[in-house]
Amino acid sequence: MASPGGQGGGAVSTRGGGGGARRMKWALELSLGNSRSRADRQGGQGDVVYPIGYSEKPVPDTSIQETDKNLVEKRCWDVALGPLKQIPMNLFIMYMSGNTISIFPIMMVCMMAWRPIQALMSMSATFKLLESSSQQWLQGLVYLVGNLLGSALAIYKCQSMGLLPTHSSDWLAFIGPPQRMEIMGGGMVL
Amino acid sequence: MKVEHVSNSFFLCDPSFTFIEVVYHSALQGAAPSNHYVRRKHVDFRLPPFLEEQTKATAAMAKLIWFCLKCILLCSTIEAVFEDQVGKFDWRQQYIGKVRFSHFDTHVQSSKKVLLATENNVFASINTRTGELFWRHVDMTGPEGNIDALLQHGQDAVLVVGDGRQLRSWDINIGGLNWEIVLDSGSFQSACLVGYQDTVKHVAVLKKTVISLHYLSNGHQKWIENLPESETVDFQAVYSGGNGEVYVLGVVPHSHIAIVAYSLDDGEIIKQISVEAPWLSNIQASCVVIGQGMLTCVDSAAVSLYTLDLHVQSQMTQIPLQSLGLEATPGFQPVLVSTQPNPARPPLSEFFLQLGPEHHLLLQLNSGQIVTLRDFKPAMLVSFATPGEKTVAAVMSPKNKTACSLNLFSAESGRRLLDTTLIFNLDPNGGKPEKLYVQAFLKKDDSVGYRAMVQTEDHTLTFIQQPGRVMWTREEALSDVVTMEMVDLPLTGTQAELEGEFGKKADGLLSMLLKRLSSQLILLQAWIAHLWKLFYDARKPRSLVKNDVTIENLSRDEFNLQKMMVMVTASGKLFGIDSKTGTILWRHYLDNIPSNAAFKLMVQRTTAHFPHPPQCTLLIKDKDTGLATLHVFNPIFGKKSHVTPPALLQPMLQSLMLPIMDQEYAKVLLLVDDQYKVSAFPSTKNVLQQLQEMASSIFFYLVDSNQGKLSGYRLRTDLSTELIWEIVMPTEVQRIVSVKGKRPNEHVHSQGRVMGDRSVLYKYLNPNLLAVVTESTDLHPERSFIGILLIDGVTGRIIHEAVQRKTRGPVHVVHSENWVVYEYWSTKSRRNEFSVIELYEGMELYNSTVFSSLDRPHAPQVLQQSYIFPSSISTMEATLTEKGITSRHLLIGLPSGGILSLPKMFLDPRRPEIMSEQSREENLIPYAPELLIRSEWFINYNQTVSRVRGIYTAPSGLESTCLVVAYGLDIYQTRVYPSKQFDVLKDDYDYMLISSVLFALFFATMISKRLAEVKLLNRAWR
Repeated sequence: MASPGGQGGGAVSTRGGGGGARRMKWALELSLGNSRSRADRQGGQGDVVYPIGYSEKPVPDTSIQETDKNLVEKRCWDVALGPLKQIPMNLFIMYMSGNTISIFPIMMVCMMAWRPIQALMSMSATFKLLESSSQQWLQGLVYLVGNLLGSALAIYKCQSMGLLPTHSSDWLAFIGPPQRMEIMGGGMVL
Repeated sequence: MKVEHVSNSFFLCDPSFTFIEVVYHSALQGAAPSNHYVRRKHVDFRLPPFLEEQTKATAAMAKLIWFCLKCILLCSTIEAVFEDQVGKFDWRQQYIGKVRFSHFDTHVQSSKKVLLATENNVFASINTRTGELFWRHVDMTGPEGNIDALLQHGQDAVLVVGDGRQLRSWDINIGGLNWEIVLDSGSFQSACLVGYQDTVKHVAVLKKTVISLHYLSNGHQKWIENLPESETVDFQAVYSGGNGEVYVLGVVPHSHIAIVAYSLDDGEIIKQISVEAPWLSNIQASCVVIGQGMLTCVDSAAVSLYTLDLHVQSQMTQIPLQSLGLEATPGFQPVLVSTQPNPARPPLSEFFLQLGPEHHLLLQLNSGQIVTLRDFKPAMLVSFATPGEKTVAAVMSPKNKTACSLNLFSAESGRRLLDTTLIFNLDPNGGKPEKLYVQAFLKKDDSVGYRAMVQTEDHTLTFIQQPGRVMWTREEALSDVVTMEMVDLPLTGTQAELEGEFGKKADGLLSMLLKRLSSQLILLQAWIAHLWKLFYDARKPRSLVKNDVTIENLSRDEFNLQKMMVMVTASGKLFGIDSKTGTILWRHYLDNIPSNAAFKLMVQRTTAHFPHPPQCTLLIKDKDTGLATLHVFNPIFGKKSHVTPPALLQPMLQSLMLPIMDQEYAKVLLLVDDQYKVSAFPSTKNVLQQLQEMASSIFFYLVDSNQGKLSGYRLRTDLSTELIWEIVMPTEVQRIVSVKGKRPNEHVHSQGRVMGDRSVLYKYLNPNLLAVVTESTDLHPERSFIGILLIDGVTGRIIHEAVQRKTRGPVHVVHSENWVVYEYWSTKSRRNEFSVIELYEGMELYNSTVFSSLDRPHAPQVLQQSYIFPSSISTMEATLTEKGITSRHLLIGLPSGGILSLPKMFLDPRRPEIMSEQSREENLIPYAPELLIRSEWFINYNQTVSRVRGIYTAPSGLESTCLVVAYGLDIYQTRVYPSKQFDVLKDDYDYMLISSVLFALFFATMISKRLAEVKLLNRAWR
């Protein structure tokens, strides 16, 4: 029942609604033909009162279209460069969290590792986003490289925290006791 | 030996000095002969000079940091027993040993004490009602603590200790020392109480050359006199009849008796006579004094008695036994037994004469004539006892094969006293009665009652009451355990039944079904019986319900924490003891065990092979003849096995247990005789075939310490052997003290150690490695040394050798995994030192799948470090766990009676002098030369274990838990958790709280779920 915002922006009525306006003792109309009932009637009569600054001829708007395209491009680059931009931040977090193994550094490392992986898994969705861009492939590549760098960073962090089984000591527990080839016994002469 | 005291602070504040300096020499200083082809490496231990000033402020700071670090590190390894855990997992049994002297406390009516002095140098008082110890005093081992005589008068017990070195008086009520005096040197001969006019105030001690008289009240010497002609006369006995004279009896063998009478007051010689006695050689063995100073001797050669009145006569009277109508057993040395109930009065004129192993006579000296009062035949043991005024004689005679009867006789008349028969049942697994001690007392109606303590050949003390009720038994053989093993208990009967069902071979569907049904039926039956028992027990008052462990209800517990301890004692008695409670479940006495026998106990078959019974084999070797016998028995029930061991006709050298099994799952035992021929037991065809196949990989080594020879042999297919290596240690320079291999049941979980940079230092885990310890024959503190050799037992290759100079044994060694720990006495610094050797392969494994001593091109890296230990030690052993994951501790028996559990990480040659980041990462403790003894490390808290001789460790079913038995004079059993109980919930774990929280959460979830459903439904209707 309420009037559309674009049109009724200037209208002030104590109680919205045509039906209700009739019952009112008085009403002040600041702009002409803004009340719907009146506008309907006016429309019906063909007696159109245009708002100020309205022209019936369409105006060609090429300049706006050009900036749109730039914006899309810019937006796409934003998306593509997003992972790369996060790297300095990640580096800072890495530095701050230290190499001790406790709950917070582990959580951070998990986040750092999980986000690029997630991003890489939803690569196709990102490509769809970048479809409108002309440099789609380059952007895709940059996005991929960024994420790979992010995960490499996470792996580096894991490495520096000692979470990767890269040392021989990590495989020590799997070495079984060697088999004895000789049987030996004896002792002091009883 | 005085121990130089070393101040702690010095070591604490100077961590930078070098403790070990290894110096290489080409040969031992002028001592190594040319045939000794071993290249020697000397390890000199050097500490910086003591008085070097180190008074910098930095030093103090360093000291503080050092101390803090130490505290932190030590705190992390604390383990101790909580108060409520005392006696929960551990038990101790105290023993005294084979009884030498025994006195019943008679000065108070209804006294409950018996005083015992034993061959283990223990003086103890035992409660005659329960057999428990009132108190016990353990003296030094060896001849220094040897108890030579025990005399009792009133409340005092006088002991002569250490070949007459000391005279001590003990209060027998509380076991406190009244006084102790040191006597003059000289070998002890005899001692007696000296009374005069019905009071006893002195004790006379006879030595080889002097006699001294001491006051009983304070031990002060009243007089001391040199014996006349002590160079020629062998004075052996001292006697006092309460008339103010002390007689000393000596003998010149095969010539004459010398009698010297001293005055009690001033030690003046009253009389000195010598009597011809060419037949006499030993007074103590063949003479006694009876009646009013009548010396009576027995001569087996002339088969006659000789009497001599000490007061008047100067000629011996010969009384041939034939004139008394008696006959001696040929080849038996007759023995006289007399009694002197009161030292202030002369001995009784009645005495026993033993003429044969089972023939005794009660004789009486009546006005110079010897009269036979009664002939006891057969009679094994006799004893006098004096309740009140009259003396009685107790005689033990065999009744039948399984029992003996004891009777009391009046000593005066030889008449049997009425209602005094006592039946002593012989234990079929025990020895024959050896000694009889009788406690006689007067009943209210003036009749004589008595109890008897019987000592049997197997060192068992049995206390019996009329009419034959055994009040208690003490197995004193357990004070001398030689070797032991722990054997897993069998599964319960029902479990075993099921297991047996699956173990049998399948023979048709129907029979299998029937078998299954029958075993299920048995299970059901057992369950119902169990329920019925529960129901039945529930009606009884709680105090009456006993859950005694007997052989019948023995079964393995969930975690295999309860095991059977099979103990072999020096007396030849075998025991099976439940490790949980300490109850002796079976005993078996092997008679005819030579006194110097060597024992080796081996478990041939464990309980894991149902229905085959477990089987242990005991090798008993007579060291004199070299001949050996095998005793094969079931370790759970102690019964001799049906398997007949081979007769060993040749002298035996060693035995060797092979990991190969015969068809009945018994491990094969190889016996090496003095011709280096090998025989197998069991020796079935299958075993011989297996041996032939494997012969080329079976090696054994023999160490002959008399010849200083180590030799290695390989088995040939025809069961002969070939010598493949030999090392000779010149016996004039050094002798081989001990050889330690690794324990066959040891598991090492980790093949290497993780370094700070997370690389791996692989351990050198050679299963054939032997640690040989030698000691120098030269005991001069400047020249004595000990040597340690690590030899590969298969190839004879010397892996490592070290000589530590200015050190002395005894050396205690533990060899396990890749390390050897040994302890010795440093004569230079006069202190005990620990040294640890660890062997590593390096950063790479040569061959990770197979270990062969014959294919080892690289020598291992050897690391060594030494430490100062503040106490000497008695024995040492390492803990052992099922899989070897748990960290290791060293169990150290101290002479003080404590058992210390020292973490191995304190004995680690990689402990750095200066901490680096990497060593911190590795959790290495900074090196400190002193090892501290922390009181929390004593696993036996206040349960002192006297004279620990050995510690036995066995793994349990729990990886965290190791079972420990320490044996010596006492036996102590406990559990240790070297890495704490990581696989067990704590005792005080709050099951109630956890389960109630769980239940509460469960119900809360249920209720909230229901509520949510209701709410959803309501919303849908709205």
